[in-house]
Amino acid sequence: MFNAKNVVAARRHFVKALAAGVAAVAATVSGASRGAAAAATPKKTKRQYGMVIDVRRCIGCHACTVACKSEFGVPLGFTRSWVEYTEKGTYPNVGRSFLPRLCNHCSEPPCVSVCPTNATYRRPQDGIVVIDDGLCIGCKYCIQACPYDARFLNPVTGFADKCDFCIHRVSQGVEPACVNTCIGGARIFGDLSDPGSTVSKLISKNRVTVLRREMGTLPNVYYIGADHTDELDASRPELRQVHVITHRKQRQRR
Amino acid sequence: MGHELAWELPVILYLFLAGLGAGTVTVSASVLLRGGGGGFGGRHFAIARYGALIGPLPVLVGTFFIVFELGRPFRALNLFKLVNLSPMSIGSWLLGLFIVVSLLYALLFLPWPTSISERLQPWRKALSWVCVPLGIGVAVYTGVLLGAMAARPFWNSPILALLFLVSALSTGIATIILAQTLLYKPPPDDPRAKKLFHESGYLLTASDVMLIGFELLVIFLFIMYAYLTVGNARYAIAVILPGGDLAAPFWLWVVLVGLLVPALVELFYVVPKLLYRRDYAAPRVVELAVPIAVLVGGFMLRYVVVVAGQVTGPVGL
Ligand code: SF4
Ligand code: SF4
Repeated sequence: MFNAKNVVAARRHFVKALAAGVAAVAATVSGASRGAAAAATPKKTKRQYGMVIDVRRCIGCHACTVACKSEFGVPLGFTRSWVEYTEKGTYPNVGRSFLPRLCNHCSEPPCVSVCPTNATYRRPQDGIVVIDDGLCIGCKYCIQACPYDARFLNPVTGFADKCDFCIHRVSQGVEPACVNTCIGGARIFGDLSDPGSTVSKLISKNRVTVLRREMGTLPNVYYIGADHTDELDASRPELRQVHVITHRKQRQRR
Repeated sequence: MGHELAWELPVILYLFLAGLGAGTVTVSASVLLRGGGGGFGGRHFAIARYGALIGPLPVLVGTFFIVFELGRPFRALNLFKLVNLSPMSIGSWLLGLFIVVSLLYALLFLPWPTSISERLQPWRKALSWVCVPLGIGVAVYTGVLLGAMAARPFWNSPILALLFLVSALSTGIATIILAQTLLYKPPPDDPRAKKLFHESGYLLTASDVMLIGFELLVIFLFIMYAYLTVGNARYAIAVILPGGDLAAPFWLWVVLVGLLVPALVELFYVVPKLLYRRDYAAPRVVELAVPIAVLVGGFMLRYVVVVAGQVTGPVGL
């Protein structure tokens, strides 16, 4: 009857829930009740654009970073899309993995819920999270709220800025600049709400992960083969020597 | 650290000054409601007047900082095109309302001729009833603003808003004590005025001791819960625990200078009256130094919290 293991597990679960904060608790609760309903996106959009990043195919060449910068003329020192390196291990047992990054175009985006002017919003027609420069006041609240550091204050415009999945291209049926330029074919773009799309097929056939799942943001950028080793693991004896290179002005992930 | 801070000194100053101003007006209005126009031979009214006349100023200065931090000040008007559930949206409306109401409230305390001033008394009372909830609202919102984000584990604590509220009230009282000490000297040949002066000082100081005690408790809970958590909050709180980057400013300036020392000094003067009904008589230098220490601590609290929240983040990838 009384099962110590269960109690410990339950307690651990509870403590974890506390740690991840209100948002995560809400996500856990809704996740528990979701069960059979299997409604993946809470706020239904007509389409849901998303990306699959097959890390196994990434060679860390930064072509996507450069293509994005030239596509949008992103000011010096800032990036809408970038590639991180994670180096780990002690010689001779070492490894380096790559992690292409961009805005996750979350289905539960905290950047949207904190924006006081509704300048940041999620487009109902395709799920892309965008910023309306006409409304943004440059308060940087969204920059604080994004758990992925996807946003920055554009020093030229003075407004919040980030990846917009190349709306101007995808609305014309052209792939985003980073996808178009990727020599390894590591970035795949498409409509997640269409079960026949390449991205949907990749997601259903592979082990995929999203970044910082515990934030409850429901990202729409999925990773195949991503190494989730982080700076914290550096203190663990079996890994040691973990070194994350962000290639950004912010040298540390926050 | 090597972190870029999105919110720097203007925001820190704003959070501090808005809290301080809101606290000052709240204290002023509560004193007025408690003691009416009379009490302590008019000292109650004098205290309320200091608070009412000073309170709106820091809020205005803080608002000035935050608006000009935006780079395009007039853009701030976009905030008032709509209301949404963002703490900043609700907070902006609250702040706007508070500025209007507290300025009206201050207007009623200008040195009007006696006949007019007496007729204004019911209005003062009426506005006090509005000022108290509004002031508390503004002070609480400065904490909710930071606390609303899971991406900022240091801030994402339900007790942060309470901490900011208590600190706002305590710095509000400090402001009024400071004003009374600087602006008023009881006539030396009038023992009654002197006694009343000290009695009003006692009222303020005793309340301040209580608030500081409460603030220490809230800080303890804030740290304890984060520390006992497994995960993000635990790693985030380490930045103010011994060995952390912000441990020195936190323990030295916030806890020691801002809370412990003022509380102990205030207790030293409050306890004899409290327990033995002796007369409360704090020397002038104490009534100057203690509120200044409380104000410094209040500022450093905002500084440490705002910076700590930004140099820490979720762990894991
Ligand atoms: S990744 Fe960040 S900026 Fe992009 S939608 Fe999610 S929370 Fe918003
Ligand atoms: S910086 Fe702009 S987009 Fe971001 S929260 Fe503020 S107003 Fe909204």
